[in-house]
Amino acid sequence: MFFKLFLLMLKNLRRHLLRTSLTAVATMVLVFVVILVWSILYFLDVVTQERAKDLKAIVTERWQIPSQMPFSYADSLSRGAASKPDDIVPDDSMTWQFYGGTLDPNKRTRENLIFFFAMEPKKLRTMMDDLDTLDPELIRKMEQNKRGVIVGQERLKALNKQVGERFTVSSLNYKGIDLEFEIVGVFPQGRYDQSAVMNRDYLNDALDDYYRKRGVRHPMHDRTLNLVWLKVPDSRAFARVAEQIMTSGLYTQPAVKCETAASGISTWLDAYRDLIWGMRWLLSPAVLVTMALVVANTISISVRERLTELAVMKVLGYRPWHLLVLVLGEALLVGGLSGAASAGLTFWVINHVFGGLKFPIAFFPEFLVPRASLWWGPVLGAATAVAGSILPAWTARAVRVSEVFAKVA
Amino acid sequence: MNSVLPEWVYQASPAAMALLVLVALLVFRKVPLRYNMRNVLVRWRVTVLTASAFALIVALLTVMLAFVNGMYRLTEGSGQSGNVIVLSDGATDELFSNLSYSDTSNIEQEPGVERDEEGRALCSREVYIIVNQPVPNAPPGRPKRRFVQVRGVDDPRLAARVHGLSLIEGQWFSEAGVEELPSADGRVGQQVIQAILGEAVAVELAKGLYDKPRLEVGDLFELGPRTWKVVGILGPGSSTFGSEIWGKFQVVGPLFGKERYTSIVLRTADLDSARRLAEHLTKNFKQAAVQAQPEWDYYKKLNATNEQFLVSIMFVAAVMAVGGVFSIMNTMFAAISQRIKDIGVLRVLGYSRWQILASFFLESLLLALAGGLVGCAVGSLADGWTASSIVSSGQGGGKTVILRLVVDVRTLAVGLTFSLVMGAVGGILPAVSAMRIRILDALR
Repeated sequence: MFFKLFLLMLKNLRRHLLRTSLTAVATMVLVFVVILVWSILYFLDVVTQERAKDLKAIVTERWQIPSQMPFSYADSLSRGAASKPDDIVPDDSMTWQFYGGTLDPNKRTRENLIFFFAMEPKKLRTMMDDLDTLDPELIRKMEQNKRGVIVGQERLKALNKQVGERFTVSSLNYKGIDLEFEIVGVFPQGRYDQSAVMNRDYLNDALDDYYRKRGVRHPMHDRTLNLVWLKVPDSRAFARVAEQIMTSGLYTQPAVKCETAASGISTWLDAYRDLIWGMRWLLSPAVLVTMALVVANTISISVRERLTELAVMKVLGYRPWHLLVLVLGEALLVGGLSGAASAGLTFWVINHVFGGLKFPIAFFPEFLVPRASLWWGPVLGAATAVAGSILPAWTARAVRVSEVFAKVA
Repeated sequence: MNSVLPEWVYQASPAAMALLVLVALLVFRKVPLRYNMRNVLVRWRVTVLTASAFALIVALLTVMLAFVNGMYRLTEGSGQSGNVIVLSDGATDELFSNLSYSDTSNIEQEPGVERDEEGRALCSREVYIIVNQPVPNAPPGRPKRRFVQVRGVDDPRLAARVHGLSLIEGQWFSEAGVEELPSADGRVGQQVIQAILGEAVAVELAKGLYDKPRLEVGDLFELGPRTWKVVGILGPGSSTFGSEIWGKFQVVGPLFGKERYTSIVLRTADLDSARRLAEHLTKNFKQAAVQAQPEWDYYKKLNATNEQFLVSIMFVAAVMAVGGVFSIMNTMFAAISQRIKDIGVLRVLGYSRWQILASFFLESLLLALAGGLVGCAVGSLADGWTASSIVSSGQGGGKTVILRLVVDVRTLAVGLTFSLVMGAVGGILPAVSAMRIRILDALR
């Protein structure tokens, strides 16, 4: 019986091909919107989710942003300010200094601006998210050639440069320290498309050189360390390391704070809280309700047109729940299949054609559509289809044979 | 909202569409409008479903546009047309600027700078700091810290005058910028920093701290390593300054390790004078390398985030509109297939093919209009809501702001036009198919 009903569903959908197609396309585009919105929310939820194991901590200036600490903090902070034998030392660490500037000081545009994370090249693979498979040869090149930099694909394109080319940056935040760079490689497509990384020794040597040549320290000399990242095994170790740092007398001018990466990112995202709230609780539900309305409209039209047919089916022995299943099944088929198709297309087009969804929030320039979306699509399509068709299906189930035939007569 | 089209185009667009419909009616003359109206009412379930989909899309669009509108209002309300903002050369934002007093001591002597009644130059030297503040009693699952903007000024009266602001409550902070709180036993107690709050930040800081909607004059709060006391509330709140805390430069600068100014704001007669002075300072000011620009231009650049949001909103709205278009297409195709005989009868009664087309096209517009009106009404409930966001030039820095959503005539006009366009696009194909039905086929 179920197979028979399934065949009937297919026949009914084929019979009104235009209507089926219109509903399917409407469902697809609306599922597309929901997947885009959920992809952003999913990523933000993941990065702000406190982890119990293998977590990262950030040490920054305590009271103000941008965080600017003396580089003399780097060494001891990288060891979690461990001073006693039973103190906990982080598993790994990474320092970030920010160096930014323009390739054309006379005509500064967004295209010729570049912003570097100055860090130890070897930490790229061990501490940076999603870069554990970065070609070790690139790191070796950066270590051998202090001027070597790795640049994200889109930034490289905007600068109109290629691997192997050299360029000079007139610094905006380190006035008077203009550096020449050589591009040794590019980051894989995705998260680091707009980023660039340089060897921290190059910047620190340039600051020392400034002092040697001019006899005075650079105004930024004592404020070059922006962030220290620490990797700790679990939340207990984090609490200990945070306590070691916060209670240490080494960091008073300026004072520092240690927080989990998730907590730090949450603070940055707090400014966007209402926007995120709107995306989660206004936009997504509204699109889902619209989808349900579109399906409800289609299915109710379809049921009204087939009242006589449904009455005949009852006469032929179909039970009321058969008719209910028939109508719900038609909606489920259209919703589920178009949702699945939309999810697959969205995943492929956004990730592989566009290289991510460009919607800059805080320091996240773009978002990838997660694999989980491959099940979101069909489930969303099917769920909204059922929600939208439940009333028309009930009408079909409750159709009265005598009334319908009386009207026909 | 910012746009390439003049304001009147947006406001007049629904009226223009209505005019087009009237012209079409005049051209086609005899259109069975009452028949269409009756059908819309008789098939009320389908009408409600279709119009609801439209209403939802338009309501959502209205709310999203109101958000961006609020952001634009905020940035546009922050810059004074005659003001010039001076930053250190190379700084992309106030946050990264660094100006010493000795290097800029004579800047207010430059020609074109306005003076007050006492002959003082209308010049405000300021330090702008973003402070990372622990949130008192943060609810579970919410961030434990937030960013608060602090502006240190030399003379609050002069600074407020330069920025076009005024006190709406309380008083200016004292020359010292600090005061001693009396202890319980009447002796001199804790020293606190006097602060003037923008209206929006006064609301934000009260959350979790006091059981009232906003901080009032006399209230205390913790910021950085010190306690602060509210001595005044600054207005109007419809600018980025509404999200700032003002204190004495000599107190707040050293407190957060910024002993130099980040910006100097100079008042000139008008925008043209401001442009001239900015150009002059950037090219000819010898004491230090500075970058001067009219304050209007500075705040206009902060619209980069707004533009990104606007593009995203229009993209989402356009994609959702496809759903709306297909929904009305379905409805209208179904309406036509149910009313084939009616079409035959209408043709026999003398209605031409074009009049049939106009009839069904207008029916879809009617559905869209109903949905659009409901959507605009629902969306306009968002007018006045407050929301937090960031305005920035996209080159680092930026300002965390609390803005008010603004639903204005233009927002509603865009929403309604959007709905009518969806109705027109979705209705045209079914109307053409109705027009092409032959009389004999219809009556068979």
